[in-house]
Amino acid sequence: MVKKIKQADIGKLLERWAKDYRIFVPSRDGEITRFDRWDGKDTGFLSIYRNTVVPAKSVFFPVKEEMFSYKKDSTGYQLKVPGPSMSKKLLFGIRPCDASALAMLDVAFKEGYEDPYYLEKRRDTVLVGMTCLRPYDSCFCTSLGGGPGESKNVDIMMTQVGDEYILEGITQKGEELLAGVEYFTDASEADISRLRSVKEGALKQITRKVNVKDITQRIYDVIENKEFWETSAIKCVSCGVCTFFCPTCYCFDISDEKEKGTGIRKRAWDSCQFPVYTKMPAENPREEKWRRVRQKVAHKYAYFPTLYGGTISCTGCGRCIRLCPVSWDITAVINSVPEKVTTESK
Amino acid sequence: MDKILQDNLRKEVKALFEQKKVDLVIGYETGPTKFTTTPVLIKNSEEADRLVINDFITSNLAKMLVKIKGKAGIVAKGCDSRSIVSLIQDHKVKRENIVIIGVPCSGIIDVGKISRLIGKEPDEIDDITREKDAVLVTSGSEKKSLPLKEVLYEHCLACDLSTPAECDVLIGEPASPPLDKVASLAKINEMEKMTAEQRWQYWKEQMQRCTRCYACRNVCPVCYCERCFVEESEPQWINIAPNWQDNLIFQVIRSIHVAGRCTDCGNCERACPVGIPLRSLVRKMYDIVDEMFHYKAGTNKDDLPLMASYETREAEELIR
Repeated sequence: MVKKIKQADIGKLLERWAKDYRIFVPSRDGEITRFDRWDGKDTGFLSIYRNTVVPAKSVFFPVKEEMFSYKKDSTGYQLKVPGPSMSKKLLFGIRPCDASALAMLDVAFKEGYEDPYYLEKRRDTVLVGMTCLRPYDSCFCTSLGGGPGESKNVDIMMTQVGDEYILEGITQKGEELLAGVEYFTDASEADISRLRSVKEGALKQITRKVNVKDITQRIYDVIENKEFWETSAIKCVSCGVCTFFCPTCYCFDISDEKEKGTGIRKRAWDSCQFPVYTKMPAENPREEKWRRVRQKVAHKYAYFPTLYGGTISCTGCGRCIRLCPVSWDITAVINSVPEKVTTESK
Repeated sequence: MDKILQDNLRKEVKALFEQKKVDLVIGYETGPTKFTTTPVLIKNSEEADRLVINDFITSNLAKMLVKIKGKAGIVAKGCDSRSIVSLIQDHKVKRENIVIIGVPCSGIIDVGKISRLIGKEPDEIDDITREKDAVLVTSGSEKKSLPLKEVLYEHCLACDLSTPAECDVLIGEPASPPLDKVASLAKINEMEKMTAEQRWQYWKEQMQRCTRCYACRNVCPVCYCERCFVEESEPQWINIAPNWQDNLIFQVIRSIHVAGRCTDCGNCERACPVGIPLRSLVRKMYDIVDEMFHYKAGTNKDDLPLMASYETREAEELIR
């Protein structure tokens, strides 16, 4: 099903969907942008937004969250666990890279052990994707199976064409949402051909490339090569920017905040780039910086694919390049990983 | 800054390698995106042509000296050279182990400011050309001239040392950014005009965004503690999960801790991924240090560090 809607009617459409869903849209928070509850009025985000600074993962895996709290009374300790969220969510305008990242987090938070905090928030969420018409020069999604108009991880894909938006129903849920809203009209053959050319134009704008041919094997081939990783890590300052703002990073740290007779157990984003991340009483297996940078790169391009059917857990969103205080460039590192060692050369 | 400086730099670095005066040189090379540079370690004279000098050499590279082994050359603007001196004063770096390659600095361009002024993001800008008192910004068929003062980093406008004094090689004639202390301190003055309650509210809003990525601390050349208090678990000074109160405590303690060593290089604020105006805190501290102790960090390597020295007149002025 392919429908279209006038830009001016987007507000009304969101109002309609807001009856059944809590709507999240790209929102401004001081100097930055993130997905947050729609205020019910403004649709200005449609024209200003390229991608949010904070990835959409923060809706389901916030920078910090309460796991449970406890209180001591005369009968002992009373435990309070956050209840299930009663309302369904709709993320309006998520970029294809971030939608693809959510698909990876869905696996990471479900296989092996089920993470109730993430899964509860993620349950019944509808993703309305939006084609990137102005990708950044740091974007490299096309090297990783994505693209500015890629629709495989969303329920509805939306593309701005002139002063209209064309919406493609991708999943059954998406089709249901597109049916029976009077602000939509059916897209014509001409609309669909315009849509195709807009998407092709967007695709051409992604010029940054990363060589992922045999990358998992290539990384395992250099995994013990200290010099390679030291060179890759030399300018890194070991802050948490690239991992915190990575849409596929999911590490957290658990801590207790205690007061007399009460307490809250929280979890908050953690980063493999921090030396204390792996610090143990007797030793720290990743004391040296090159080991931590290796961990970050290898997790995305080797360990995750090994664990989960070959999926590289980097979407090419480019945030780590844009936000890094020293302009560390993951594409340069991946491209510098030597070619696969063949049996003959072994 | 012009290409002559860059040519001179490459020549000087090649000479340093040929005369075996350095094992490596820390400098800048072209960054991964438009109008950025990134730190680079040059290991021989052939690699020297990777080095660049332009209006976007933002990072304070002094940070990299602390863990480098061997004799290192380092490219330093005025503020960076002061950080190096501060590290020498703190016995973190030995003067004889480093070769300071001074860059006379006429101010660094804040591309974020240009972005906001012309309503286009950096990668949508084709060219930024510096003229005498202006920059010419080209974007498609549009050309716009912006006053230089409005596009330089705020800390550059109140620069106390633009041409490094402590250096072994200077790659050009002394230079200075256009100075405008009022504009440089405008944000701080605005905050001072607020009532205490307004100011509290302001910082609460800012600190709520902090994710505790520690980029501010980790890029700071004088934040070299092996163990930062925020990572201590016994006693635990602040909660691990970020909240605005603890985020603020972290910043307040950091600001006090770098007092007398901070050179207002702007690295902390530039590094912040969520745009917290951190320079306002450390610059205020910088001015307090100047006012109370008549001390400017990193201006004399033979001075005792501020917090390690004491003069009797301080008691008369400070303890009342």
